[in-house]
Amino acid sequence: MSENERKVHLNVFVRIAGHHAGGWKHPDAEPERDLDIDKYVELAQLAESGLIDSLFMADNYSGTGRRLEPFTLLSALAAVTSRIGLIGTVSTTYNDPFHVARKFASLDYLSKGRAGWNIVTGHSPEDGNNITKWGGYPEPSKRYEIGDEFVEVTKQLWDSWDEDEGRGTDERNLKINHTNIHEIDFKGSYYQVKGPLNIPRPPQGYPVLVQAGSSESGKELAAKHAEVIFTAQQTLGAAQEFYTDVKSRLAKYGRRTDELLIMPGLGAIVGETEAEAKDLEEELFSLLNLKNSLKQASRFFSVDLSEYDLDDPVPLDKVRLDDNRIGGITSRREVVLDAVRREGMTIRQFVNRSAGGHGHVTYRGSYIQAADFIETWLRERGADGFNLLPQVVPYSMETFVKKVIPELQNRGIFRTEYEGTTLRENLGLARPENRNRQIWTARYQTVKENVSEAVN
Amino acid sequence: MSKANKKAHFNVFIRETGHHAASSKHPSVIPNSGLDLAHFVNQARTAERGLLDSLFVADGYAGLSRRFEPITLFSAIAALTKHIGFIATVGTTYNDPYHIARQFASLDHISKGRAAWNIVTGAQSAAHNFGREEHPEVEQRYKVGEEFVDVVKQLWDSWEEDALVYDKTNDLRLDTNKVYHIHHQGEYYKVKGPLNIPRPPQGYPVLVQAGSSEGGKELAARTAEVVFTAQQTLGAAQEFYSDLKGRLAKFGRTPEQLLIMPGLCPIIGDTEAEARDLEEELFSLLDTKHSLSNLSRFFTVDLSEYPLDAPVPIDKLKPAELFRTGITSRRDVIIDAAIREKFTIKQFLSRSAGGHGHITFTGSVLQVADFIEKWLREGGADGFNLLPPIFPAGLESFVDKVVPELQNRGIYRTAYEGTTLRENLGLARPENQHRQVWAANGQTIESAGAF
Repeated sequence: MSENERKVHLNVFVRIAGHHAGGWKHPDAEPERDLDIDKYVELAQLAESGLIDSLFMADNYSGTGRRLEPFTLLSALAAVTSRIGLIGTVSTTYNDPFHVARKFASLDYLSKGRAGWNIVTGHSPEDGNNITKWGGYPEPSKRYEIGDEFVEVTKQLWDSWDEDEGRGTDERNLKINHTNIHEIDFKGSYYQVKGPLNIPRPPQGYPVLVQAGSSESGKELAAKHAEVIFTAQQTLGAAQEFYTDVKSRLAKYGRRTDELLIMPGLGAIVGETEAEAKDLEEELFSLLNLKNSLKQASRFFSVDLSEYDLDDPVPLDKVRLDDNRIGGITSRREVVLDAVRREGMTIRQFVNRSAGGHGHVTYRGSYIQAADFIETWLRERGADGFNLLPQVVPYSMETFVKKVIPELQNRGIFRTEYEGTTLRENLGLARPENRNRQIWTARYQTVKENVSEAVN
Repeated sequence: MSKANKKAHFNVFIRETGHHAASSKHPSVIPNSGLDLAHFVNQARTAERGLLDSLFVADGYAGLSRRFEPITLFSAIAALTKHIGFIATVGTTYNDPYHIARQFASLDHISKGRAAWNIVTGAQSAAHNFGREEHPEVEQRYKVGEEFVDVVKQLWDSWEEDALVYDKTNDLRLDTNKVYHIHHQGEYYKVKGPLNIPRPPQGYPVLVQAGSSEGGKELAARTAEVVFTAQQTLGAAQEFYSDLKGRLAKFGRTPEQLLIMPGLCPIIGDTEAEARDLEEELFSLLDTKHSLSNLSRFFTVDLSEYPLDAPVPIDKLKPAELFRTGITSRRDVIIDAAIREKFTIKQFLSRSAGGHGHITFTGSVLQVADFIEKWLREGGADGFNLLPPIFPAGLESFVDKVVPELQNRGIYRTAYEGTTLRENLGLARPENQHRQVWAANGQTIESAGAF
């Protein structure tokens, strides 16, 4: 694709309370409806009217901050939308590959090819207290090993049915042709799965594989498996570095640079004019619970910031860099620390920044300026698209769809209609080949005939 | 509720082509629709038009099938319906209680109180798909299952009803004093809690069970609110009904707290002759050889070597112990009917092909209504789990013809009673147990505090 034809891809990170820490208190927000499916449907349909590529749900298995669970929510949304992609976060540390492969295949069929899997290795140590599996929280390196194997098993399960499952010409013959369905007989260090999966290969072959880890091993895992990367970048320079780094790792896995899309998070505060955006930013800051924000920031830096003045610089010399309590997204922390260091941020600036983007870049400006920002990052290879973090729901989403998107379309850098019906088609990603014959051949095994009877 | 006012409840077991073994070959059936959401949404809407209580799907984690996974399927249908309930089968042997508690809670929120859980321990082995050496024996499965259900209930109870406050003025979203750790440390699960989603609208989704073995009946009497069962005769159904209802008292429960719903495959016509024709037509589409070889596993002989009109060779039955890994009670029910009613092989085949172990009843609209009324009034059933022989026609004829007849007789609702599945089934919303549980354990309530 020539540089002039490159278009931006946009994902919406779904959070009914809004992404700004004070957003839920904004008069337009209805946080009390965050268990109400109708509220999610409104947001999904609004995003689809703006030709957004996909919706994304974060997840984990502890705490009290989550609301609807991704598989159930995205399945419900699949029924009331027709083009938008549905990306669910599912951890490889606290699940079974068989269930996950099957639920994603099911979601991909329900949505006719719009499922995406945000693969995480789990970022809350507390998850280990709720899921009996490992009796705790495995170390990061072990989590990546488990995750790598998990994804491999899952792909093999999706590939355990040939495309033509052998119904042949007699579509009334429900007997399944067993020669087209294969046991995978996977025997790894963490998983032993015989297969086959009990649902045919998903419409997209595999759901789109998404990743968010930006650590060294995260980047490597992404280069190997991911087709979309969500990342937190605070400056164009850092984004470009990350972009080049990850794209250059693809070749060694036999992949081309356009087989992976890099989408940094973006918390945009947008108005008709810059002044309007500034007003909104101030309004949101006034809604912040400063005490809580400082407490969070103190936890982040492992320094009690309440003892400092808001306009003091962040006391970086006191920050402990190897604190285990942070546990989770180590790379996200580095990105933020780096920005704090480079920009010499005050505590107030830090709180303001992190309230809107929780680690992702925030941008405040008119819709024209927001479009400029997006265009610059796209053209200068900092991004293939953005993971949007609406600050106030639905207000920020409405502004984006009504103002920013038409501006991007006028500039020829965003679609004017969906390119296809599947998420892969809209993202310009190829449908993966079924690898089962490859795998079997590589192992010098003959393709096994599965003898289990059809169950229905 | 007085006996005269008793009303029937109906669930429909949804499926790709129907419950008759030859359904896929019937000309009215749309083939290749097992992974087409629209096909199931049509079934759901037809059922909702007929004011049916709920939809049900079976499930398993091995073998081959061309169908949706239940939780995802029902979440999608929930977005397009308003009243009908969703009974999803989820096994306790190869799942994790935290995920299952959460997914059901989420489905219950999404459907605004229409979720139900058909709790199974899974007769079919899936050990090979989950890195296990072997499928646990039934006794072990029940022990794991009991603890699993116990953990799930505690997780649902880990939030008080009014924990979420969203007080914009006082900057308070969640009252953390109303969310609790459960600190479960059992033989099989270690779960600290709380769940990361508030208590389901129904308190708990409706709890359903299907096992009819001795252990199954005891577990049902203790925990189930709806029981699916396979009964071939009114006599056997009455025995089962009074046996199970009789067990409730010792668990401090009343007979209305558990609904018994035998499976029923109704082959319906405007007249009896029309119904018989449909039954014959379906029989003629049957792959007799395949079906006979399937049934032959109960016998020491191959049934296909006998003439179709010969009596079932009862003396050649295999001993029941050989079926210990399967649904033994289902087998007993069919064999029992074959013995008592002196079936020919053809009758045996026809009966088994219709409802895979559940009773098939062929008759006019009035006769089907008579059948239902009789079982309802004479203590054989509180309702039925409908297994239409073919989709969508079998469900449509029930909804459009049998339902009005039952309404005329005053034994079926004319409007949904409520908005949740519990309300429609007449089941109370369970109290939050956590205070009781903590008190019983001699512990003080420990709030999970700030998160």
